[in-house]
Amino acid sequence: MQNIRFIFAAIAVAAVTSTASAQRLVIKGSDTLGAKLVPTLAEEYKAKHPGVSFEIAAEGSTTGIAAIIDGTAQIGMSSRRAKPTEVSAATAKGVTLKPIIVAFDGMAVIVNAKNPLTKLTLRQVEQIFTGDVTDWSAIGGRPGKISVYTRNTSSGTYSDWKELAMKKRDYAKSSQKMAGNEQIAAEVAKNPNGIGYVGLAYIQAEGVKVVAIDGVVPSQETVLGKKYAYARPTFYYTNGEPSGEAARFVEFTLSEVGQKIVGKIGFVPTK
Amino acid sequence: MTETKHHVPAGFSLHKRRLKLLGLTVEDCIKAFFGGNAIVAVVVLALVTYFLFREGAGFIGQNRLNLQVYRQAGLEHVDFIRRQSEDHTALTRYLSDLRLRALSHQTNERRLPVEEAQASLAGFDEFAERFGAAVEPLRSLVTDLTEIATASKTKSMVNEDKKEERRQLLAADKTAAAAKVEIARIDFAAELQPLRAALPIYREVNREFSGKLTGLLGALPALPSADLQQRIERFAGLVRTYLASFPAVERNVERWDSSVPVSAMEAFTAFAFGRQWLTASFWQDWYGVLPLLVGSLLVSTVALALAVPFGVGAAIYANQIATKREQKIIKPAIEFIAAFPSVVLGFFGIAVLGQLLRTLSEQPWLAWVPGFPFSERLNVLTAGCLLALIAVPTIFTLAEDALNNVPQAMKEASFALGASRLQTTLRIIVPASLSGIISAVLLGLGRVFGETMVVLLCAGNRIAIPDFSQGLAVLVEPVHTMTGIIAQEMGEVVRGSIHYRALFMVGLVLFVVTLLLNCAAQHIVRRYRIAVG
Repeated sequence: MQNIRFIFAAIAVAAVTSTASAQRLVIKGSDTLGAKLVPTLAEEYKAKHPGVSFEIAAEGSTTGIAAIIDGTAQIGMSSRRAKPTEVSAATAKGVTLKPIIVAFDGMAVIVNAKNPLTKLTLRQVEQIFTGDVTDWSAIGGRPGKISVYTRNTSSGTYSDWKELAMKKRDYAKSSQKMAGNEQIAAEVAKNPNGIGYVGLAYIQAEGVKVVAIDGVVPSQETVLGKKYAYARPTFYYTNGEPSGEAARFVEFTLSEVGQKIVGKIGFVPTK
Repeated sequence: MTETKHHVPAGFSLHKRRLKLLGLTVEDCIKAFFGGNAIVAVVVLALVTYFLFREGAGFIGQNRLNLQVYRQAGLEHVDFIRRQSEDHTALTRYLSDLRLRALSHQTNERRLPVEEAQASLAGFDEFAERFGAAVEPLRSLVTDLTEIATASKTKSMVNEDKKEERRQLLAADKTAAAAKVEIARIDFAAELQPLRAALPIYREVNREFSGKLTGLLGALPALPSADLQQRIERFAGLVRTYLASFPAVERNVERWDSSVPVSAMEAFTAFAFGRQWLTASFWQDWYGVLPLLVGSLLVSTVALALAVPFGVGAAIYANQIATKREQKIIKPAIEFIAAFPSVVLGFFGIAVLGQLLRTLSEQPWLAWVPGFPFSERLNVLTAGCLLALIAVPTIFTLAEDALNNVPQAMKEASFALGASRLQTTLRIIVPASLSGIISAVLLGLGRVFGETMVVLLCAGNRIAIPDFSQGLAVLVEPVHTMTGIIAQEMGEVVRGSIHYRALFMVGLVLFVVTLLLNCAAQHIVRRYRIAVG
């Protein structure tokens, strides 16, 4: 909810500040990127290049790639790679989809702060989320029925997690689908038997504790060093090589300043 | 000739020129305005209904294809065996639960130190270990078969993608390029050859597996108390039932035929009676409405159970017993509840009520309540309590109207016969307006059933049919609802995909249920209304 409000605010701001002579940059797509990271980058960019205005809409990766294919945006944000049907649809319209990795998004497994558990293995995480194991005692914890919290089914993160952590198996039937990262953190914080996954930006939430996976704690270093298992790249998509203002914004995102912002927002910089 | 002056007031002139707009008088314009509004409303409603049906109708065909691939690619075949291995997992869960009980018995009742208690269960642990390991050959067989089936399903999905590509190229008038898109024919029979070839291996694995389990049944570990002993006997019974199901599974696997076509009826029943709503799966998507329907019904039942006494009771009090001054407070106050946006109630549920109910459930003096204490603060009860708040104004207002409609003469006649005020209310007024009250309750139910925001935020969103065998404790389980799933998944679903259409089918079910409720309410009012006079 908050994200959506923020986006509307961002659009409103963009609309107000735009002038007739201004360069206009339209960015659409993933909620993961568009909620906080890209608007922050845009603000910073605007401060350096007055006269550039942004229109940012974050309604999901699918809309971002579709916008590039239809030519309604210069940059599409996506938390996944384009599907074969999207690539072929682009080719049919004479559009080449070019992915640019802008940041890595690490996913942390969180449990309630009162849970004595501090580490889990990859196999145990798989067992918990698929429902093979339903009681904390089965993995050496304090007895109690495990409450699994996941993102909602249409979110890209929901299926990414299956690929990253669950060997593509299905979630336990008893899992509960939450609206977003904040809600997962809130429920885990209130439920002593809760477990869930959130983006690295949300691990500071009160009442939750990050679990080490196979002995590795998620952090910028471990994600970059490929030591931490649960991380995924996030992309900008453009039509062929970006040009003009879009190229400059991409360059800014990948620059040292841009990547510093990436780190500050809770993502992992590409270098 | 004397002229008598006729004074005709201007207003009564029969031939007065009226103001006309486009050949219409003012009255005609007003008439046309209201009539037009009515027509627009009817047309819009008809269009919405038509749209709902049109978008939903495609689901049956798409689900048929979906199930067809499930069968042709051999996923169904693998699932027979997979279910067998999953049932074993359920049994191991029973064992680990038993171990937990045994351990707490040893430490709490017999006051053994933890290490000693653990050591005393060594025999049990060895048994559990051997029981758990017995399934390994079967499980690895399932993994192998899964790979085969997934490979053939992937091929068929690539084909679908190619078809889509060709369609896209044709749409862009690139006929030459479209002709170049090669769509390989998939010979499913050949693809499934390895699956069929695995049949003797499966039989072999199965025989070994059941041999091992039977052997283990003869070596049940002894447990320290009668209660625990009884539980392990029960476990043995469960294992025997499990073993008895093997021949049926084997028969299913042998008889399975990938070429049997999936009928439209099957595609429909898979939706209407499907017990699984599973989307974005790498294996197989299921669109069964039952878990959502059950969730909606459970939440509505709780809401009504709370709202009917409050709503109807308040209506009777306000209409029959309250003084004029009390009426002036009660009526606006209750109707004011309706002014709360449901999303505000939802936030209230998350932030306050859910937490409050859970804290309450953890009180020792409430332990006798079924389901207490519970750990999920977002559940049927939380959502039901808030929905009751939404239903009360509807029920109150309509029930109050119904009580008002009872002719004054009845009341007076009752008093004349010497009945007391209470007798008149309970024996005359309420029965006379019962039809109106029932319809008020039904309309309140319709309101609750269609409510979205509160259930989305507070019902816990677990897509599974709750376990009814635990009795009333089912009311503290999280559920997902039909309205909630539409709100949650419609946002990012690809337009025209099977998932999109499935959501419209859910919308259709909602539409039909609400329509029936409203029809029933109207019917009851009309059929049982007391003729006045």
